[in-house]
Amino acid sequence: MVCGPDGTVMHVSPVAQRLLPEVVVGGTLDGLGSLDPEMTRHGRRLRLRRASLSAGRSCWYVEDVSDSVERADALVAERSRSAFLAVVGEKLGNPLHPDRAAAAVVRLAVPTLAEVAVLVLAPRSGRARWWRARRVDDESPTVDRGVLIAAELPPAVVESLRGGEPHAVDWLVEQAVDAGWLPGADLSARLVPLPGRDAPMGVLLVARQATRWYVEEDLDLIRAFAARAGAALTTALLYRDQTEMADTLQASLLPAAPAPAPGVQWGTAYRPAQAGLRIGGDFYGSHRLPDGGSVFFLGDVSGKGVEAAVFTGQLRQCLHALHRVEQHPVRLLQLLNDALLETTLAHGQGRFATMVLGVVRPHRDGGLGLTLAGGGHLAPLVLRSSGEVEQLPLSGMLIGVVSDPRIGQVSTRLAPGETCLLYSDGVTEARGGRRGDEQLGTDRLTQALTGCQRMPAPALAERIEQVTCDWLAQRDHDDIAVLALRAVGPGDRPHRHLHAVPAMSEPEPEGSTGP
Amino acid sequence: MTATTTGISTAAVYPHYLHCLAEADEQAAVEVAHDLLDAGVPADRVLLDLVAPAQAEVGERWARNEWSVAQEHAATHISERVVAAVAACTDVRATHGRIVVACMDGEWHALPARLVAEMLRLRGWQVTFLGASVPAAHLVSYLHRYDAHAVALACALPMRLPQAHRMIEACRRSDVPVVVGGRGFGLDGRWARRLGVPWAPNGPAAADLLADERALRAGAPTSLAHLADDEYAALVSRRGELIDSALADLVQRVPAAGDYSPAQLDSTVSDLGYILDFLAAALYVDDGTLFTEFVEWLVTILDSRGVPAAAVEATLGHYVRVLHDFPRATGYLQQGRAALPVSVRRISS
Repeated sequence: MVCGPDGTVMHVSPVAQRLLPEVVVGGTLDGLGSLDPEMTRHGRRLRLRRASLSAGRSCWYVEDVSDSVERADALVAERSRSAFLAVVGEKLGNPLHPDRAAAAVVRLAVPTLAEVAVLVLAPRSGRARWWRARRVDDESPTVDRGVLIAAELPPAVVESLRGGEPHAVDWLVEQAVDAGWLPGADLSARLVPLPGRDAPMGVLLVARQATRWYVEEDLDLIRAFAARAGAALTTALLYRDQTEMADTLQASLLPAAPAPAPGVQWGTAYRPAQAGLRIGGDFYGSHRLPDGGSVFFLGDVSGKGVEAAVFTGQLRQCLHALHRVEQHPVRLLQLLNDALLETTLAHGQGRFATMVLGVVRPHRDGGLGLTLAGGGHLAPLVLRSSGEVEQLPLSGMLIGVVSDPRIGQVSTRLAPGETCLLYSDGVTEARGGRRGDEQLGTDRLTQALTGCQRMPAPALAERIEQVTCDWLAQRDHDDIAVLALRAVGPGDRPHRHLHAVPAMSEPEPEGSTGP
Repeated sequence: MTATTTGISTAAVYPHYLHCLAEADEQAAVEVAHDLLDAGVPADRVLLDLVAPAQAEVGERWARNEWSVAQEHAATHISERVVAAVAACTDVRATHGRIVVACMDGEWHALPARLVAEMLRLRGWQVTFLGASVPAAHLVSYLHRYDAHAVALACALPMRLPQAHRMIEACRRSDVPVVVGGRGFGLDGRWARRLGVPWAPNGPAAADLLADERALRAGAPTSLAHLADDEYAALVSRRGELIDSALADLVQRVPAAGDYSPAQLDSTVSDLGYILDFLAAALYVDDGTLFTEFVEWLVTILDSRGVPAAAVEATLGHYVRVLHDFPRATGYLQQGRAALPVSVRRISS
């Protein structure tokens, strides 16, 4: 369109004529309003651009951009859907606790898919658990949860759990209102099953204002979301079932706290190489003897991880049985050697262990008498009441390799306040220092313990763990185990009160501060 | 402080309690706490007014070199037993969800976190205290196994902030919100804000924050754009080499350092490493005051152990020279030098 200096339309091209029939030669452009660069006329999106011509005339280019704008809008919508699904994938991509996964699913659905989102899991034992997220004034939705008896589930949910996708949306909203999930009937809602391993593992109810109807494109997005949510929940449930089993097995393989014994204060530390696994190839323990003494042990089996942990379990069970028939440390270790040799030969495992095994008996003066047998393990340290550290001369051969190993023996006495320390090579062979390639070594360990004679046994065990971990400075390490026994002296002073200090085992089991 | 009808108050027994810690007398220390509970002092007051300040005093005595590490360690152990004893005397039904309380991997001062854990338990939360020095893998596998309302993560030393950040991210990937506390995030929690994570200055504040799920989830975005300059990553990867050069520089300047005993050498190497670790943490959160505060603290500690501050100054100077192409790091090092006592700066200039 060409206009004269006074704004009179001088020329209109046929295309412009078609797009803007109200513009005529001789008239003005006033009918087009403020002449925005983008305008919608007669259902078309138009782009206007003005160019100056000579003699004060101007030329207006008119372009129909309806199709490209539509395509751009569709692209933007598609991009936001992909972005949404990417976020969903990221948030649900990690294995989660099942309850957390369920809460995450409804939280993610709001506000993109719904104002209110309800996830109903397929009933287990006649009860169906549900999670609901509701949009509040700001961005973060509030999440709550509940349980319904399976018989009370809305029929639409039951149908959807069988794999159907109910389309009669009116009664869906009413049913959801009856179930207490939706605030009122003035909503549009859809129900989508969450795919599970075979049958749907749950259904997702989405609802928003009745004015915003769910169209087919919305449903595609909801189904894509439901597929990811279903996968995440299935993984979470599978993970839970497996960890439940693993936990049970793991608990039986964790070193047990030493049994309380008169005159002895025990201290332990345990840090497996694989922190996520929490079990390893180091072990310790103690058993009470009928004569008031205790047999105690600490050792390390060949190999790492689960297999090593299983072997420590066998070993501990062996000792548990054998200490009832033999209480002399050297002969007990010899018996253990024979038993291990037999099982390893039978299973062709070729596993062996190093260990220190001792018997402790309280003396009248409050001290402790110790007899220790050595099976190829690091010699124990004794922290004397002078504050000096002494290494006991104890050697010997590996347990479970030859039929008649040389087993070392040493005896010592602990005066009240003195402590004997057994530890695994994860302590002294911890690599650290400037380059991370230097071993901690016995000298540094001795140094760290010198002068610590007033520390209780649990604090000493923790100190060794701490010194080792400080030396490691977050580097990978082998299993670390410490067993400390301290002579606490003749009889504890009488309590002024009736209530005793609660007996606490070391290390504290997880959740010990829970109710 | 709570005055009671029987006339026993935490203020009155405090000196005796400290004496029990000094003597490593666990039984007597527990009795002090039991007496207070018997006299009607609420459990949280015993923890806040007796155990917490006494433990702070223990730390200060160590800093002043009045107590050995062994003494400090023994006293801390007894404080922990006292907390356990107080906890055993209170019977609170858990009415809220589960909170997992953990200390950073490598951090052994678990008592402040333990006190927070008990404070939360007294408020009706079901608390799992994972203890000191929790490996990230352990925490994450725990979160997969048990549904937790939130994780309360304690960090005592700012040098562990980069690691704390990774741990926070790991929890969040498990969709569990995190609240942090401890001096490691700065006395005003400013480094927690930098990492975009809610921070509580103490147990009661943590309890309030945990009760407000929306505040808990409303994490601010992290502002770590400065990491793009790679100074942090480069410093971490050159750590070993930098310590070597600092040690060589030290031996050159102070020939006596060449005759250090293995133990002296170890502690020198770890001090040289700490300087770099705190510098790296300062780079991570882009805040030079983190490093300056550390230098001030280090000088106090070394001073009480007869090590002159000039040694610190010379090492900072050395690091400035070798890190000349690290503008942020050299800036922090210079600020750290400026914070040293005036006398030191004059000697070395």
